[in-house]
Amino acid sequence: MTDMVSILDGNTFLVSDSRGDIDPSPTFPTGLFSFDTRFLSRWELTIDGERLNPLSIDDLQYYETRFFLVPGEPTHYVDAKVSVVRQRTIGGSFDEQLTVLNHQGEPVELTIRMEVGCDFADLFEIKDVKEKVGAAQAYVEEGRLRLSYRRDTFRRETFITSTTPAEIDEHGLTFRVRIEAHAEWTTNLHVETMVEGAGGRDLRLGLINHTSRIKTEMQGDLAEWIGRAPKLACDCEPLGDTYERSLADLAALRYTPLAFESKVPTAGLPWFMTLFGRDSIFTCLQSLPFTPELAGPTLQILAVKQGTKLDDFRDEEPGKILHELRYGESAAFEDQPHSPYYGAADSTPLFVILLDEYERWTGDVELVRNLEQEARAALRWIDTYGDIRGDGYLWYERRNTRNGLENQCWKDSFDAISYRDGRLPSFPRATCELQGYAYDAKMRGARLARRVWHDPVFADRLEREAADLKSRFNRDYWVEDGEYYALALDAEGGQVDALSSNMGHLLWSGIVDEDKAAKVAAHLLGPRLFSGWGVRTLAEGEGRYNPVGYHVGTVWPFDNSFIAWGLRRYGFDEEAGRIAEAIIDASQYFRGRLPEAFAGYDRVLTKYPVQYPTACSPQAWSTGTPMLLLRVMLGLEPHDEHLVVDPALPRGMGRLELLDIPGRWGKIDAFGRGRVDIHHEQEVVDLESERSNQPLMQALPDGGR
Amino acid sequence: MADPTADFFDGLGHRGPEPMLTRVRGTVRFDLGHRDGTDHWVLVMSEGNISASRGERPADCVVSTQLQFFDKVTVGEANPIAALLRNEITVEGNLLLFHYFQRLLPGPPGARDPRELVQERRQK
Repeated sequence: MTDMVSILDGNTFLVSDSRGDIDPSPTFPTGLFSFDTRFLSRWELTIDGERLNPLSIDDLQYYETRFFLVPGEPTHYVDAKVSVVRQRTIGGSFDEQLTVLNHQGEPVELTIRMEVGCDFADLFEIKDVKEKVGAAQAYVEEGRLRLSYRRDTFRRETFITSTTPAEIDEHGLTFRVRIEAHAEWTTNLHVETMVEGAGGRDLRLGLINHTSRIKTEMQGDLAEWIGRAPKLACDCEPLGDTYERSLADLAALRYTPLAFESKVPTAGLPWFMTLFGRDSIFTCLQSLPFTPELAGPTLQILAVKQGTKLDDFRDEEPGKILHELRYGESAAFEDQPHSPYYGAADSTPLFVILLDEYERWTGDVELVRNLEQEARAALRWIDTYGDIRGDGYLWYERRNTRNGLENQCWKDSFDAISYRDGRLPSFPRATCELQGYAYDAKMRGARLARRVWHDPVFADRLEREAADLKSRFNRDYWVEDGEYYALALDAEGGQVDALSSNMGHLLWSGIVDEDKAAKVAAHLLGPRLFSGWGVRTLAEGEGRYNPVGYHVGTVWPFDNSFIAWGLRRYGFDEEAGRIAEAIIDASQYFRGRLPEAFAGYDRVLTKYPVQYPTACSPQAWSTGTPMLLLRVMLGLEPHDEHLVVDPALPRGMGRLELLDIPGRWGKIDAFGRGRVDIHHEQEVVDLESERSNQPLMQALPDGGR
Repeated sequence: MADPTADFFDGLGHRGPEPMLTRVRGTVRFDLGHRDGTDHWVLVMSEGNISASRGERPADCVVSTQLQFFDKVTVGEANPIAALLRNEITVEGNLLLFHYFQRLLPGPPGARDPRELVQERRQK
């Protein structure tokens, strides 16, 4: 299969082959998509009945690509008498400028044909192929081809027009052209999508942010986005590359949910181009020091859509934060529960965590005040509906047994949570990282209650509950014979004792007892979990370990970025540096774009990180990973109105400068130099670093430089 | 004759302040079609105080659907967001208010509290 080429603008994206063509595929998401619906499933260019072949492809921007093509087989290159340029842009609508060049000294007459069709598949019908219930029809209208799909009141349409007049039929557009010697012919094809709403108009109409944007606006928007982010200067070339790539990819992954004006991150191309509670929150946490504008709107939309009732199909409960929001036919007709679906036990505590972290960076007290009721409802959910077993832990068990998720944590595949011997535990389950998030949410909720909501009684209570949770957790989850934290508790309260990466998140949450932290760090960086490219999701030697198993052996960059953050929180600077260095090394093999996951093979074995077969890319929380690793290596931590910088860079990293870090302090620069030796077993620091036991207050306001 | 829509709107006035709507201010009009014409209701949300009355005044958000379908929405049998996506309900104006209005609706009848489910199983 030829490589796929994608352009995207939030939840509108186009996936084609290397010729620029879309061949209908019932099982792979090729085509033009918007709002979880396929609006073009066929888009094939021929000249005199012949398909074209690619000479080269320019990936200009995330929203723009250019294909250079010639008719006929590749062996005919040298004889090409005509060539073709397809330049396409996406920005709400889809535009393709088609240019045919005649290289001969005489005129040529050609039949240029664009074959067009659409199945209007819902993204979930492509994952799990289904016959359409409604009917699709093509209409030839004055100057345009209209493709239409109707099921009861539900209607989706695609309009195709051309600036150069075409002969239009129900299956495409034909141009019979004569091109003079050494001349060219061009037309602009415009594809508009329609999601029918009130009065037969587009549901998105009237919302300024949902109208199509022209290329110049897209360019301006991207330039401003990059302009607002801190500037990175560093000796380490792969780090610079992956940072630059990540900034652009994160821009591409933003979308505007219905009823909103601001953009929030989607989770990833091509399957997850929508709002996910967990993915969006993690991405915002990672990117807060760089692109803080994403976090506020993300918190707001999650608050608006917070659960208010019991609904078994959607696994909804009062106070719960959503898992996944979709706009396609399967959500509309309730074949799927995504309107929205609430099957996640972590998104609710993570919501409170992001709210606090957001305030610590931005000082936006107003939003914390506005979301007080939602944050309280989220904290209440942890202790009520979240504590299914009534023993003070956070549990999950789906009530939607038809198509709800079995595992409602980030490792959500069915086999992700297992005992050492590979058995799967019964339900409900209480994975360990959920308890860490609950602890952190209570601690952070207490800070907000004291400082913003002026409720010290509530703050005291939350802190007492957090302390109690921490002490019980360190007793009940600690696996004595292995000296690590169990992956989960099972329905009987017994330990699900597999060794996994989940306990790395525990360090980030601060729930780990000081005297246990060194053991945890040693396991994370030990040979069973650390592959050399990062920490595996599940340790080698466990019953279900598989280096190419989605959540049972692969290395997830995002997971590693939070583990590194946790390690620094507990003072394991060298260990955090090793993870950061490994992931940044790995990024080189993906041209700076870290995939969702790569295989857990030992680094010595493969020499390069092997991409997980169907890994999603770009994926938001992989995109956020280099940002969080930068934060971790520089030791950026807001303290009231200041930003503390406490760098601990691996020696190989060399010099590193991050300029204009935005926050409540205005803009601040941070500097670091690699001096933590990455030798295995022990931490070696050089003289320069030994002199500075205090956090290095290298943060200088712009004026003081 | 049973009139779930009227019961729902009339009941709103007797509920007391709604804590989850204390930051919300706005009006939503419901245009509900039926065989003999269209019923109009206006919902006023004002910092947690909720009231509704019959009337056809301009509003920040206008929701249109069939009365028969809206009856099901008011008793939790139909989901208004899914209905919006399939165009069975249409909304004009401030869509956010439609989302907030949803907080006033009951859940589907027969929905379970996850804690009860687990407890029942343990007792068996």
